[in-house]
Amino acid sequence: MEEKKGLAHILAIVPGLAVMVGTLYLLRTFVEPWMKDAVVFGQKGWLVQVLSLNYILLSIIAGIIYRNVFFGGKIPDWAEAGFRTTRLFIKSGVIMLGSLYTLQKLAKVGSIAILLISTFVFGTVFFVIWYGKRIGMERSMIGVMGASCGVCGVSAAVATSPGVNAKPSEVALAIATILGFGIMTMFVSPFIGKALSMSDYQFGAWVGTGILNSGQVLATCLAFNPTFAPGTAVAYGEIWNVVRVISIPFVVFIITTWACKAEAAESCATGEKMSLTKVFKDRFPIFVLGFFGMTALSSLGWLGAEGSNTLHLMRDVMSWIFGIGLVGQGAYIDFRELKRAGGKPLRVGLVAGTLKYVVALIVIMLFVSKDASF
Amino acid sequence: MKILLALDDSARAMDEAVRLASERGAGLTALFVLDTGWSVYIGSDFLLGSTARSKFLEYTRDAEFAQEHAALELVRQRAQAAGVACEVKTVTGGHIADEIIKEAAQGYDLLVMSRPFRRGLEVVRDAPAAILKAAPCDVLFVRDQPAPQA
Repeated sequence: MEEKKGLAHILAIVPGLAVMVGTLYLLRTFVEPWMKDAVVFGQKGWLVQVLSLNYILLSIIAGIIYRNVFFGGKIPDWAEAGFRTTRLFIKSGVIMLGSLYTLQKLAKVGSIAILLISTFVFGTVFFVIWYGKRIGMERSMIGVMGASCGVCGVSAAVATSPGVNAKPSEVALAIATILGFGIMTMFVSPFIGKALSMSDYQFGAWVGTGILNSGQVLATCLAFNPTFAPGTAVAYGEIWNVVRVISIPFVVFIITTWACKAEAAESCATGEKMSLTKVFKDRFPIFVLGFFGMTALSSLGWLGAEGSNTLHLMRDVMSWIFGIGLVGQGAYIDFRELKRAGGKPLRVGLVAGTLKYVVALIVIMLFVSKDASF
Repeated sequence: MKILLALDDSARAMDEAVRLASERGAGLTALFVLDTGWSVYIGSDFLLGSTARSKFLEYTRDAEFAQEHAALELVRQRAQAAGVACEVKTVTGGHIADEIIKEAAQGYDLLVMSRPFRRGLEVVRDAPAAILKAAPCDVLFVRDQPAPQA
């Protein structure tokens, strides 16, 4: 698609954005209220309470339907610029989520998050290295799968591939695997969480640790409990997410160093000297600083006390921002592409992903109390 | 007669297109489609910083150029060896199948391509199936491996 500039670019955004906003409006105004009242299996609101079909999951489903049914597998040119704003919406939402914490609360829960994340990140990376070698996977792809299963799914795969010189076609298979697994866990996890009577704290900690793709952690937490407030699943899950995102540069550095150690010089990156500082500079997502900025404002009390109009308005805006962004996220999911995931990336992804998901659930249920720290 | 060869890394498809062009005295055009669909393919990821994202897109673009260079070189050598004149063409597009169909509609009689078609994101797509549905000319799919002997 031809890149447009200035006013033409803004106008090009309008149709796709209108679809995303309009869809969310219809879902929140008509569909979700209807689902809350609908009687299924003799229970009022079964669709929302048991299947977690609140506006968050409905937004993603709507996006998926657009892409796979109405758009015939491709986002059409007229909508593409608008749908591309989805990244902007969700990043803005993540920054605003910083307002749910104070620095003291972040430090309190953050230490548990760091401990759990580090254990699971490196545990998964070592498992993938062992299993990948066992099934004869290429070292570069072991690196990509180690990073994506260990840390942040698609983000980590994308961040690692150039450094380890992984074949793009294999990376495509890895991404299809990670996304497919993530979508499955996104719909199943709220159901499991409710069946096991998990608290918001336990649920946030579990999906924050166990779901491969960080992008889907937020959606899963919001599917479990769509409320934006301190002490909700999304507030806990996001702390785990932020720790994961910050760890991307470190994991990329370690994996790239490992993957390139035994390779011929020409097969790893461009032969330029790799340093942690350079990897950190290239891979650190700057928007995370915005998240901490919001937490700082909240700690200073500049956003008002709990229950204030400012916070109420901000959380309402957040719910719309995430909802709009998630319609767009759904539209980036093409089932035909996911269906073609295969080969060794699929084997490694399924085994490592399932193991991480299940072990994280067991650890959380055994060692993390229902009562949250805040 | 005009033959269009859709290029991937399959030497068998190249050989078959060159053989047909030689036998029938047909004009041969080899088409390479640079896959620009990666940006959309990783569109669901919102956590990465723009530097990491653009580094990855640069990386896939370089891989595309490397494959283009290798494929064009290979088909030129094969055509030259068979004494067949071969025009080479490179186009860019977000979906390889669409670009092949667009080019095939430019008055070609036969499209030759490999199956499976190994180009860019085609590993998670299925260009042969899409082309079979919408091809504006005859299509010859060439297996990437010779058929096993009965």
